[in-house]
Amino acid sequence: MRPAPTATAPLLETRDLSFGFGARPILHALNLQVEPGSIYGFLGPNGAGKSTTMRLLLGLLRPASGTVRLFGHDLARHRVALLGRVGALIESPSLYDHLTGRENVEATRRLRGVPAHRTAEVLALVGLAADAHRPAREYSLGMRQRLGLALALLPDPDLLLLDEPTNGLDPTGIIEMRALLRRLSHEQGKTILVSSHLINEIEKMATHVGVIQRGRLVFQGSLPDLQRLQTGRAQLVLETENADTCRNLLPRLLAEATVAGPGTLHLPWLSREHTAELAAGLVAAGQPLYALRQEQPSLEDTFLHLTETIKE
Amino acid sequence: MEYALPVAPGPLTQLGRVLVADTLKLRRTAVLWLALGGGALPVVLNLLIFYFKGQYFIKPGTNPWPQYISMSWQTASVLLGFFLVLLSGLVVNLENRGGWRQLLAQPVSRGSVFGSKLLLLLSLNAVAQLIYVALLLAAGVLLGALRPGLGFQNNSIGLLPILRMLGHTYLATLGILGIQYALALAFRGFVGPLAVGIGGIISALTLLRWEHIDLVPYAAPNVVLRLMDFKRGLAVPAPLSAAEWYSLGWFGLAVLIGYVLLLRRPVTD
Repeated sequence: MRPAPTATAPLLETRDLSFGFGARPILHALNLQVEPGSIYGFLGPNGAGKSTTMRLLLGLLRPASGTVRLFGHDLARHRVALLGRVGALIESPSLYDHLTGRENVEATRRLRGVPAHRTAEVLALVGLAADAHRPAREYSLGMRQRLGLALALLPDPDLLLLDEPTNGLDPTGIIEMRALLRRLSHEQGKTILVSSHLINEIEKMATHVGVIQRGRLVFQGSLPDLQRLQTGRAQLVLETENADTCRNLLPRLLAEATVAGPGTLHLPWLSREHTAELAAGLVAAGQPLYALRQEQPSLEDTFLHLTETIKE
Repeated sequence: MEYALPVAPGPLTQLGRVLVADTLKLRRTAVLWLALGGGALPVVLNLLIFYFKGQYFIKPGTNPWPQYISMSWQTASVLLGFFLVLLSGLVVNLENRGGWRQLLAQPVSRGSVFGSKLLLLLSLNAVAQLIYVALLLAAGVLLGALRPGLGFQNNSIGLLPILRMLGHTYLATLGILGIQYALALAFRGFVGPLAVGIGGIISALTLLRWEHIDLVPYAAPNVVLRLMDFKRGLAVPAPLSAAEWYSLGWFGLAVLIGYVLLLRRPVTD
């Protein structure tokens, strides 16, 4: 799906990006659009193609067809120049275990030609200054993840690509990571693409969301767009004495109702008028009305709905 | 809204940066110990042999240096092959635990990544061989002090033939180095290139008397030993032997294949 064009040119854009391992297709004509200054949550279940997409965005894999454009330029033609403005953390960070945390950062700093003072800055930013002298092999999973983030932040990039950055972090670490990403976006105007398989994680920080399932983009838009999508999927829950009797007595009003229990009916929420008519109809038919409430699906339900639809 | 295209660093700048980073990664690795200490093994072995059994090799009143240099160089030539197999495998293996993903996502070309590791291997090989020669001469002087009866302290050896032999040996090792580097890039693991390398060395040593042995890169360090002439002291001719030319040819071919392998490599690990 291709979103409507916006006034601002996307900072990151893929056009009909496809990829496969041999004959096995992995991504199908992906059209991502990441606006500058946004935190784009790239959501999808495990195996949906998130990490493959991330690798394509960094030129680690060559697409079967389609293009990746960063900062308005073709990645295939200007990879080295464009990656100079990108910081990335792909899956579990690949560290040199025999080097200390500081030496790991130094190796990348020297490779990128970044000023020397950045090493101490990024180590402090991710809270690893005190442990920087320890070999990376002694780091916990959370510390490794933070060191990986330090490597991504080293060049002070305009665009951050983070693949499941909260993996292995404890709850405090997750909150800190989230706060850090929000700060980077709000205070420094950085654009962040963060992938995750957890909608709860994304909804707490993302401004935009893309949902991928089996290599296809099944939703892309702002977080309010996704929230609006779930409004259309609101349900009416009706509790009475006998669900089947009610359906027989009010066949028109309960045409789309499903029996969820002996005295419980679920039906799509249509309008306030429809709800009022239903309540009046039940009372007129002499049926007890114990409860009648509207239920909004959670974002998680919407995500599951989006990712399950394609399976059918 | 238009974005200006950032300026990419030049190819030599990229190569320099990767090389500096690669050198830093050698800290506390077996690679560094191997390069700095590998040359000591043949020297120590021959030092012990000459210390305990030197009287059986050296005729009284003759210059012991040519015999000592020759025997030590023979031991070194056999060990050199194994050294190169280990060196190239270990240098590439530093990246095999996910490092490629990190490295190739950086704003440097794959050519500079390839070139940096190649330069590192060439330098470490040169350093190891220079250290070997320095230790070899130092051990000869030491033998003169420890076993005056052998006559090391009363005789000398010209530096020119030794430097020429060092040059010939270095060129003869390039074929193995190039092939092992390409294999290490192709296998993406340590064991595969190690197995092929050891197989190559053992096959080469077995085939040393074959009339076409010059063609076999793994034999070249041993084949160039024939350049040493002991008729009047130690003499080594300057022109390159056929084995060295073939070694250079293998090096060029292997480097080309290795470069293409890295250039086309999908990063899936």
